[in-house]
Amino acid sequence: MAEDHDRIEELLAGYVLLGLSGEDAVEADRLLSEHVPSCPRCRDAMAGFQAVAGDLALAVSPAQPPDLVLPRIRRGVAESPVRRRRASLVAVAAGVAAIVGLAGLTVQLGDRVSRTEQQRGRLLAAMEALQQPGTSPVSLESQGQTATGLVEVSGPGLQRMYVIGRDVPMPSPGRVYQLWLGTNGTFVRVEDGGFVPEDGLVLLELTVDTGRYDEILVTEERIGDAPANPSHLGHTWHAFLAQPQAA
Amino acid sequence: MQGDDRLDLELHRRVSMGDGQAFEGLYRRYAPAAYGLALRVTGQDSLAQEVVHDAFLALWRAPEAYDPGRGPFRSFFLSLVHHRAVDTVRREERLRKRAERASNLERGPGEDVAEEVVEDAYLSTRRKEVREALQTLPPEQRTVIELAYFGGYTQAMIAEELGIPVGTVKTRTLAAMRKLRRALYRED
Repeated sequence: MAEDHDRIEELLAGYVLLGLSGEDAVEADRLLSEHVPSCPRCRDAMAGFQAVAGDLALAVSPAQPPDLVLPRIRRGVAESPVRRRRASLVAVAAGVAAIVGLAGLTVQLGDRVSRTEQQRGRLLAAMEALQQPGTSPVSLESQGQTATGLVEVSGPGLQRMYVIGRDVPMPSPGRVYQLWLGTNGTFVRVEDGGFVPEDGLVLLELTVDTGRYDEILVTEERIGDAPANPSHLGHTWHAFLAQPQAA
Repeated sequence: MQGDDRLDLELHRRVSMGDGQAFEGLYRRYAPAAYGLALRVTGQDSLAQEVVHDAFLALWRAPEAYDPGRGPFRSFFLSLVHHRAVDTVRREERLRKRAERASNLERGPGEDVAEEVVEDAYLSTRRKEVREALQTLPPEQRTVIELAYFGGYTQAMIAEELGIPVGTVKTRTLAAMRKLRRALYRED
């Protein structure tokens, strides 16, 4: 489809300012999924407008946050799974290679992942989880044009969910992927479930009890948004989760 | 790339490895800018605190959301703060009450707290450049930018507020964003 670039830039300018609504917002989402990633002119325009939007924040005078903000953030940091992952990885040693066979992931993935301790820790935690009774991987079905693999790992009593993937494309500019869990067709956004693949790899560990849900969904959402409902735009993955087993 | 951008990149890289000190380094650099923005957009201390809290924790929990190939960390993070702030005000349904404040960037005498805030020199310099760039815009273009960015107005709401067609809002927005881009990134 031939695209009117002035019209597109008009939409992109409104998009980065969060000013679009209705049909314009839908059209911008379509363009960001279908046209912008493959159009150098539009990619350049989008990058430029995003940079301007970031800098516009500086037009406002800075203000020192109240003293209680940083301690609250520190508590959040201390409670973050990142800390727990870092503390638990020592044990892993040569175990990365054992990931072979996990829903098509290969030793090569293990080698790539080993670049950071954090990722290695997540991978090993997922491996350990798979050894627990009742835990099984679930492959998410790609709804986009590119067939790529995402696997969810969870189990009864685990209170954790792992999402692992390779060759996962980058989301459209200005967006991140977001995890959702559903019951009877109603989805809730997974806190801390926003992610962007790194070199195509995804390794997430989330503190969530999937036993209460029967579906998992991954959508593209705008960076910084906290939407109440999935957008169903861009590249998405979906799977039905196994029914929880009785303890 | 400027040295300060490289410092941000290094701090972000360390945050990605779970380095808490680097995270607090980014907090010290960007908390005043983030809080000032959140305060302007939300209009309430408590909401602004929530925005800043949530934005920094989002950074800690998903540092990979920032892709260095897509521009400076500064732009990414302040955009994240902006998105959360606008999302907050829209949820609170308080948009219309902020029309006058949103359309007036300049604080009154004695209200400007910039002198009270310890801020990196490069941010102060960039802040001056951004304000100067905004001042070069024709008033009608500056107004639509300010209503959208600082007021959280959609283009349809701006059209209604100003009594002009939505198409005119779009045209002014694009013209303003192009001018701002040229003014702020002319070295590119």
